[in-house]
Amino acid sequence: MALISRSCSGFLAQLSSLTHHKAFSVSTAAAAIQKMTRVRVVDNSPLGSTPWHRSPRVIHVYTKNGVGKVGDRVLLAIKGGKKKALIVGHKMPGERMNPRFDSNNVVLIEDNGNPTGTRIKVPLPTHLRKMEGDYSKLLAIASRFV
Amino acid sequence: MYVLHCSRQFVSQILSHNVLRGYTGVVRGACLISKARRSTTFLYRRYTCLASQQMHPHLSAFYNGIRRYYADLHNEENVLKSDSPGKLLAQQDEYEMQSDSSQRNPQEDFNISVLVSLLRQENAADICVIKVPEDIKYTDYFIVVSGSSSRHLRAMALYAIKVYKYMKKDGDPHANIEGKDAEDWMCIDFGRMVVHFMLPETREVYELEKLWTLRSLDEQLSSIPVETLPEDFIYGADVNVTK
Repeated sequence: MALISRSCSGFLAQLSSLTHHKAFSVSTAAAAIQKMTRVRVVDNSPLGSTPWHRSPRVIHVYTKNGVGKVGDRVLLAIKGGKKKALIVGHKMPGERMNPRFDSNNVVLIEDNGNPTGTRIKVPLPTHLRKMEGDYSKLLAIASRFV
Repeated sequence: MYVLHCSRQFVSQILSHNVLRGYTGVVRGACLISKARRSTTFLYRRYTCLASQQMHPHLSAFYNGIRRYYADLHNEENVLKSDSPGKLLAQQDEYEMQSDSSQRNPQEDFNISVLVSLLRQENAADICVIKVPEDIKYTDYFIVVSGSSSRHLRAMALYAIKVYKYMKKDGDPHANIEGKDAEDWMCIDFGRMVVHFMLPETREVYELEKLWTLRSLDEQLSSIPVETLPEDFIYGADVNVTK
């Protein structure tokens, strides 16, 4: 009895998938930035622009938990070396009225906090300004705000 | 009448000391107004001149000289006219309140002219003030300033913070120096204004004035190669790819 109902429900589900399409879009679950995530360097620094056979990856996140959100500093393994960077956007949805980006964007930074590149073409979130931390330098070399 | 007389002398002292270069135009205008006998507005001008003295604490010796000078004038006038001693005492009490450095000055607000005048006073080189349009909802004024050395930059930044702390009202947010451990670039965000203190070499590298005046026509921006997606790109297809 149970077997028959199970097969019936499977058959019914297949029928419904053939006739109906979903009315909403479905995307994969995206987590914030942690170790071993591949990131996209968005400034015009030579280190971030030259191609390499491996994409830049996060090897350490400088927060209490290992999760990086917008405004957190991370350590990247890029072109066979290590470089500090700052997260300026991630795929994971954050607060409601804050923008969500389609890629995990990162800006390279020196040890003293100065940005390595001189311009950022990708839009930066404006809530960076309200956060505690040294973000005015990044906002000064940004070209678009979102 | 004695008010007009002593304030004119005070004004000439200011002009001779070249302290408030930005205010000279204002004060000269006030001299002309005094002829029309609007003593209340002239008192206000003098008050603002005195109030701006507050932000230069190393000029306190000069300030004390002025106070003594004013008190002398008062005494002279007391000899000539019969002013009530109560009025004299009240005005001197006002002076006491002004010279108390722990109290904040509520009259002036920390606007762009105050900031530029203090930067000029600190011998900042190449002060560049850019008025940012309202569409870019970042700030109203973007200021880039050069210094002769990293110590000079740090001194300028700390002095700007000190003046802001003195002149801010209760509702204003705090301002802190960003990039304290960087030697060549420091910035302060004052809400309506953002100041960047850089060494001349750093300024050449970043060219912030070019970016903020020609917004999208900046040459460094246009020299970034346009990123094109590869033809076989599928959004989200690399999620289950193991490497």
